[in-house]
Amino acid sequence: MVALAVILSDLLFGMMLGCVFAVVAHGLNLIWGVVKVVNIAHGEFIMLGAYGAYFLNVFGGFNPLLSAVVDGALGIFVGYAFYFSFLHRELRGKERITLRSEMVTLVSTFGLSLFMSNLAVVAFTGDFVGINWSPGTVALGFLELPLGALYVTILAVLIISTSVVFLDRTYIGNAIKAYSQDITATQLVGANPTKVASLATALGFSITMAGGALLTVWIPTGINPYMGALYAPISFVIVVLGGPGKMLGSLLGGLTLGVVIDVLQAFVPVSLAYAVAFLLLIPVLLFRPEGIVK
Amino acid sequence: MRIAGLGVTFFGLLALMLLLLILPFAFPFSTSVILINLLFYTALAYSINFITGMTGYVSFGHVVFLGIGAYALGASADVYGLDPVLGVLLGAALGLVFALAIGLVTLRFRGVYFAISTVVIALAALNIVLELPQLGGSQGIILNLGFQPYSWYYTIWGIVLFEMLITYYINRGKLGLGIRAIKSDEDAARSVGVNVSALKLYLFGLSGLFAGAGGAVFAWTTSGVFPYETFSLTFSLQMLAMIIIGGVGTSLGPILGAVVVYLPSYYFLTVAIGTQLIIIGFAVVVIALFIPEGIVGTLKRRSASLRELLE
Amino acid sequence: MPTLRTEAVSKEFGGVQALKGVTISLPAGSTLGLIGPNGSGKTTLLNIIAGLEKPTSGAVMLGETRIDHLPANAIVKLGVAKTHQIPRPFAEMTTRENVSVAVMYGRRRIKDTKRSLNEADRLLSLLGMDARRDLPASSLTVQEKKRLELARALATGAEVILLDEVFAGLSSDELRDSIQLFRKIRGEVGFSALIVEHVMGAVLTLAERVVVLEEGAKIAEGTPDEVVHNEAVIRAYLGFEENDSPG
Repeated sequence: MVALAVILSDLLFGMMLGCVFAVVAHGLNLIWGVVKVVNIAHGEFIMLGAYGAYFLNVFGGFNPLLSAVVDGALGIFVGYAFYFSFLHRELRGKERITLRSEMVTLVSTFGLSLFMSNLAVVAFTGDFVGINWSPGTVALGFLELPLGALYVTILAVLIISTSVVFLDRTYIGNAIKAYSQDITATQLVGANPTKVASLATALGFSITMAGGALLTVWIPTGINPYMGALYAPISFVIVVLGGPGKMLGSLLGGLTLGVVIDVLQAFVPVSLAYAVAFLLLIPVLLFRPEGIVK
Repeated sequence: MRIAGLGVTFFGLLALMLLLLILPFAFPFSTSVILINLLFYTALAYSINFITGMTGYVSFGHVVFLGIGAYALGASADVYGLDPVLGVLLGAALGLVFALAIGLVTLRFRGVYFAISTVVIALAALNIVLELPQLGGSQGIILNLGFQPYSWYYTIWGIVLFEMLITYYINRGKLGLGIRAIKSDEDAARSVGVNVSALKLYLFGLSGLFAGAGGAVFAWTTSGVFPYETFSLTFSLQMLAMIIIGGVGTSLGPILGAVVVYLPSYYFLTVAIGTQLIIIGFAVVVIALFIPEGIVGTLKRRSASLRELLE
Repeated sequence: MPTLRTEAVSKEFGGVQALKGVTISLPAGSTLGLIGPNGSGKTTLLNIIAGLEKPTSGAVMLGETRIDHLPANAIVKLGVAKTHQIPRPFAEMTTRENVSVAVMYGRRRIKDTKRSLNEADRLLSLLGMDARRDLPASSLTVQEKKRLELARALATGAEVILLDEVFAGLSSDELRDSIQLFRKIRGEVGFSALIVEHVMGAVLTLAERVVVLEEGAKIAEGTPDEVVHNEAVIRAYLGFEENDSPG
């Protein structure tokens, strides 16, 4: 009975961890799926969102959930700025993105990642900081669930499902989907490709930075200029597991990763659990390049 | 077009290497420490140039081979008391073996998929090493090999010389032509008979071999192997930055990139740690977006007379 | 020079039969035309011969050697080369470097750079492209890129060349010139040719025999004259493709 309870709680915590991973990876997934570029500096924007939440807490007394909203709004502007400085030149007037443009973006965003993380060291110092926010726990049978993590899980699922509904049910969402199929098809539905691509990028950044804020609930002392170097690869693995461009794939990939990490931790040291989780990417790319579910 | 016979670049590089051969005798120790580091970064730049510079496959996790080389020397010197020079050879051999094994799988992935698979492999390698008590776990291995600047210097000098010769040899002949075809269009290269998979694996193997040798020298000079430092992604990033700034794929680009990236950072280090990486990061962004050929490529494009001279 | 044969080659894509047991034979030095409406399986058959796809069943034989399990680059080294329907030059390389790659890595495996460049120059002048030698391939016109495709295929030293729609999209003057050029090249370099075309004109002029595919199956085979008078062919092909007047 005790063993069962341990397994159940591992599973539950793994799923909750998976949800926060999912929302952190979701912005990357959106941009990867629609604009077909991978932002290597993705982790640095998660870091930016986390520091946003930290400073809003220190100076404004905001809790991370509230900060996620502010971060999300800021992320729109950051996303537009990113689109027009990094992606526009590569995508303007193209029918589809070329391998060459893919590589240019890979390298330029890699430079950006180096730039941002080291600038953050100068701006924020290299120290680990965190947000002290504990709204208590709730009893669920024999389990004590921390309310903060529960709120984050709910918000994460909400953000991801809203994006699915938005893409399926709204005109502009359909235009984004058309763009992801074929850039020229965007014009067939009467939308301007640049507007569509920049909006998708802005939404992606909004979710990424909001995700960074939500993440702070899970890492009470883990905000650091180099945190992106962990959460970017986690996001890459999640998007590949779920299949780039499949919006629910973020959730599927995140849950898989969260559960794998949390359950493995019961048997092997934490770092090995992470090693296994990272290496999941390889067999998926080899055997299921479209993601683990068709 | 590269026509048989040796060009100005070849003799220029040879002259430079000869100069570097005698330089430690002409300057005090402090300078030769700078030179050792400069050659170490040059070795790393040539190493990643084989795969990323020549084929366009971006190896973000290239540090994994450096780490393997460092641990090869560390463990063999620590446990078996192996001579460090043999440790460097062992590092090179293990770098080669791991590169072939990893390349066999990951070189099937194109574009971003290859790039991110190398990142996760490097991270996984660090996480695995942390849990291997035989390799010292998170403490690493502390060596007591002493201060041997001349041995360090001539070992790394030899590694760089080999890399330059091989790079030049590849770029000049049949191999270089096939590799440029692969970089341009893999499928079309196959359709004229280029054995794409074998050539990519060959280059990845070379890059792993030399990164392994470089990593072993790193462990030797720091007299220890520390997992977080050895597997730091910053190394991968610096390697990439050097060839992007210098000019990808060329014979001159890596050493030029190493000079441009390392020498300023040596001086910045005394001012503020981290500042140099901000500047390097910014430079990479600007170069990737506006002058993707890097220094050497841009000079070649701008001037017809330089085109013949620079390779 | 060996004969190229496909023996009952079938190909299935996710439940769809793209090819249904197609057998063709291309004797040494001959020219075979392969025609059929869009989606009839021509390109699939060509890709299977070139090693770009594997057949679901059946075999591809080059002389006595079975080649359908080999990778594309190995098939080129055995002397079978294919042109791309949409040209795929190595854009950053000059025209002669493009051809030179094929000289070095093709069947002849020439290692010496100078010899391979001379051979590339010879082929380019045969194709009337001397003036384009040192230009980057990206600067060529579409028709020039198509010629470069042919030059590269010839440069591999191929004994069998698979031509995928090289005569498509030409004006009637250009078509006449191209047909003349093709005959001239055949006079200088010996090879067997499998010409896949959607447009029938060039095929009927150049080919000694013609195979007609419809929905993945061979419905007719014979001389150009026999084929254009074949009832099944007229029904399946000409009836729906009135724009493509024969001859």
